[in-house]
Amino acid sequence: MKDSINNVIIYNGYPLSVVAAVTFHSLLLALLLYLQSNRNTDALELIQPTVVKALLVQENPQVTNERKRVERQQQQQRDRQQEEARRAAEAERQQQAQAQARAEEDRQQRERAALRERQQQDRLNAEQLLREQQQREAEQRRQRELAAAQRLQESRDRELQRQQEAADAAAAAAEVASSEFEMIQSGTALIQQLVQENWSRPPSARNGMQAIIQIRMLPTGELIDATITQSSGDPAFDRSAENAVYRAAPFTELQNLPINVFNANFRSLSLIFEPEDLLN
Amino acid sequence: MNDGITPTTLILEASLPVQLVLITLLLLSIISWVMIFQRWLVLSAAAKGVLSFEHRFWSGMDLSQLYKEGSQMQKEDIPVVGMENIFRSGFKEFMRLRQQASVDKEAIMEGAQRAMRVAYSREEEKLEKHLPFLATVASVSVYIGLFGTVIGIMNSFIGLASQAQVTLQVIAPDIAEALIATAMGLFVAIPAVVVYNRYTASVDNITSSYITFTDEFSSILHRQVHSD
Repeated sequence: MKDSINNVIIYNGYPLSVVAAVTFHSLLLALLLYLQSNRNTDALELIQPTVVKALLVQENPQVTNERKRVERQQQQQRDRQQEEARRAAEAERQQQAQAQARAEEDRQQRERAALRERQQQDRLNAEQLLREQQQREAEQRRQRELAAAQRLQESRDRELQRQQEAADAAAAAAEVASSEFEMIQSGTALIQQLVQENWSRPPSARNGMQAIIQIRMLPTGELIDATITQSSGDPAFDRSAENAVYRAAPFTELQNLPINVFNANFRSLSLIFEPEDLLN
Repeated sequence: MNDGITPTTLILEASLPVQLVLITLLLLSIISWVMIFQRWLVLSAAAKGVLSFEHRFWSGMDLSQLYKEGSQMQKEDIPVVGMENIFRSGFKEFMRLRQQASVDKEAIMEGAQRAMRVAYSREEEKLEKHLPFLATVASVSVYIGLFGTVIGIMNSFIGLASQAQVTLQVIAPDIAEALIATAMGLFVAIPAVVVYNRYTASVDNITSSYITFTDEFSSILHRQVHSD
């Protein structure tokens, strides 16, 4: 009878219900685990953060010095090349002159032969004339050759001198650069460290972002202003970089630098901010 | 490299209070689902019982015959419930009082009605059993989940206090851990709320049909009393 079944259920529904409820929960749990195992491949990467390191790159005095040195070397090389070209041209000119002279001589000899043939009877009086002429020509040639040699010598001297001068200048520049270099390096390291300490990076920072901030300073190390010259695209990031600079200022240790070094390298400085060790 | 956080690792690595909250919620969920299934069986059986008994009652069958069938079922250890129970207790009281010659008609009717009222309230009690539990689960489990979340977020902020640089990666796992508790609370509460409302409505339906039947049956008895 249908009623009897219903009645049984009413009084004995508990075991069935317990089984059903437990099954339901196990199924849900299994579903959860299944979805999770499927999703593992593109799971969110939530990672314990490492300490963030601000990378600070200058419009580096060291780099600019290096660049200047390279430019100087290039200039010297260019000079040398020009010199060589000039020398080559001169040598050619000399050769041409010699060839001309030779050709003239040939012609004169031929003329002389012709003269000898045609004017045998005039030879005696003409000989005098001819000799004189030859003498004159020889004189001229000698003079020309002498002048060319002199020019060559002069140009060589000049080149040597210039090379010497260039070498001296390079040596001096290198010396100055090496002493400057240390000061600049310590100054930049200092600024870098201070800014880094004061930089609290926003959560929106991502690897590959780069903000460049140009700062202007007084010789006392005080900050005049800081402007964003290149935005990272994220305003929060730019702001954090700017704040870091303002917070780090003043860089009082820069007072110890010689004024010329300061002016050359620190009066205006570009700081590049990039979070380099983020994991996403 | 970490290979990410999954709900399982979150739960397994959660702090102790959060884990306790989660375990409590899981137990509540299982118990409430036991109730849900059990009540579903009971209520659907009761609703069907109402229909089938009304069908039998109005089929023109002799009432003492109907009563004897029920007695037969009881002898076979099949419990008699629902509307039939109300009918049986009312009819039994009616017959018993009627055999006593000294009892007058109004007293007979009153006795039968009283017996039916008692049976009705017993039946109603049976139907409404466990429903308050579901109501409690529905309202409390959200708060329990919220409690877990608050504890979790508190832990996360305590952790943050010692951190020099705050990034999303520091906060995220703790917040996620905390939110799992709320999710679990909602997971427990939502079915409980829905089922509670639904079952209350069907209990109301069934009891009102019991009341209707009681009235109808007492009018039949009344007719019988006064026809003598």
